[in-house]
Amino acid sequence: MTAVDLECEVVVVGAGFAGLSAARQLARDGVDVVVVEARDRVGGRSWTVETPGGFHVDRGGQWIGPTQDHLQALADELGVSTFPTFTTGEAVEWRDGVRHTYSGLIPTSDHAAAAEGVEAILDLDLAALEVPLVAPWEAADAASLDGQTLGTWLGAHVEAPAARDMLNVAVKAVFGAEPEELSLLFTLFYLHGGGGLTNLVRTTGGAQERRFVGGSQQLALGMAAELGDRVVLEAPVESIEHGADQVTVTVGRADAQRRVRGRRVIVAMAPAMSVRMRWSPPLPGVRDQLAMRMPMGSVTKIHALYEHPFWRDQGLNGQLVSNQGALRSTFDDSPVDGSHGALVGFIAGNECRQLERAGPDARQRTVLAELQRAFGPRAAEPLEVIEQHWPSEPFTRGGPVAYAVPGALSGFGPALREPIGSVHWAGTETATEWCGYLDGALSSGVRAAAEVLMALGYRGPGRGRGGSDGDT
Amino acid sequence: MATREEIAGAYAEWRQRSNANARLKKMVRGWDRVIHFATTDTTDAFTVEVVGQELSELTFGHVGTPDVIVTGSSEDFCDMFWGDLNPSEKYMSGEIILAGSQHDVMRIDAISMVAFLDQGA
Repeated sequence: MTAVDLECEVVVVGAGFAGLSAARQLARDGVDVVVVEARDRVGGRSWTVETPGGFHVDRGGQWIGPTQDHLQALADELGVSTFPTFTTGEAVEWRDGVRHTYSGLIPTSDHAAAAEGVEAILDLDLAALEVPLVAPWEAADAASLDGQTLGTWLGAHVEAPAARDMLNVAVKAVFGAEPEELSLLFTLFYLHGGGGLTNLVRTTGGAQERRFVGGSQQLALGMAAELGDRVVLEAPVESIEHGADQVTVTVGRADAQRRVRGRRVIVAMAPAMSVRMRWSPPLPGVRDQLAMRMPMGSVTKIHALYEHPFWRDQGLNGQLVSNQGALRSTFDDSPVDGSHGALVGFIAGNECRQLERAGPDARQRTVLAELQRAFGPRAAEPLEVIEQHWPSEPFTRGGPVAYAVPGALSGFGPALREPIGSVHWAGTETATEWCGYLDGALSSGVRAAAEVLMALGYRGPGRGRGGSDGDT
Repeated sequence: MATREEIAGAYAEWRQRSNANARLKKMVRGWDRVIHFATTDTTDAFTVEVVGQELSELTFGHVGTPDVIVTGSSEDFCDMFWGDLNPSEKYMSGEIILAGSQHDVMRIDAISMVAFLDQGA
């Protein structure tokens, strides 16, 4: 097949928050843009569904916190309101087979260990401030930091097992990975961009502070609505042919392929997914090898839905921190009006991998048993359980974020965002602030759009094309 | 509502414990700072300094240029210094507000949590 089915100036691959953000920016600047999306929906790692029982749940990213200004601006623009995550009451700590309750940020069943954990978090957060956000590989001691894992660092700096457990829970929840898998340099960069580990695990004042009334995917739907029929769904990319000033993106399966031609392409997805399509000519080795070193995290997100948020009646806020079992952390995920109860939990890292083989029924039994021991017998009687096993999602293959293994950033880091001729990169993993979050995805799209505008010779936002023909 | 004398008394105890705490001394190494406390329910103001890994005595009023400003109720300050209140709970609820550079806020957030936790250890 040689015919070109769609002509445009810029093809955006991926209709997640990054791709839509880029496309919207380009369209507003008068660029003819087409977005191709493999799934039958927009939103990427943001996905709000209505359950069989008529409840709305966010299967993916769902929170917004202070300093996530791109996300807040979009919500304001689209008229999507937010509400605080429920935090009134005590949290539950499950440690070594014993249930405790606590107030505040840190589980307190072992005060000395908790204090050691806080000290370690401070050390990490202060070290993170020294890692440059735009080019973490240029940190003063980048090679040393990238030559070890977070697990190595924790092993050397945290003695009390309970303190290490506390940090492990936080790390699993944030990255969907074990500390032993994460480059320390990458971890510090990530913490810096999100205001520190304390900020990333906080509800009030932190990354889990607020939720969107009606779910986060509305924001993607709002961006897509502005783009109209420029967004083409169910169009998985089979190949990208790219030259100095021309790209041809072939989408669809063999019997129904379409070709979209433009002058630039923005690939808006996690690095690991960007190399699952055929590239002609092949991507430079450093870009492909970077993708090999940035695997997706492993996370299953589970919602248990109830008639009533019964834990609130017991003075509990729905938060659980556990050093045992599948579910290591939960939150109250009930709607703003409290019309029903919802607990959301995460099975992350090793537990996610181990329980993949068990299947959904066994996972559900395990989860309900763990919720019961934390929140009482009523937790074992949900109206519905909704599971999202992100490693099985065919166009994401993991979550919540891609992480870098040791050696990735110091050896290959500049390839993360560097354009390759007519190919530009977006996606939350390319963000310099709030990497891994919806906010980072949005800002990465804006940044990629700006690169393309400059390359195509546009004079600036809203001012149309300049006299030159760009870099051709 | 707590009087300024009550807050000063609670702080004196807290200071004594904190200056004897090896973990806290390590956490404030190289962190000489001026901290202003402002109460929301009274007109009282206090200044505390960290100098050479030691907390200073409390001074009434705001003295010097602050690196961190801590705002909260007089009762919460009193309870925090007595060790009856987990400061992270109050930070999370927004009842105690920390203002300053990211570095300084991170530091005082962690220091106050450790002071509370180590007291209960």
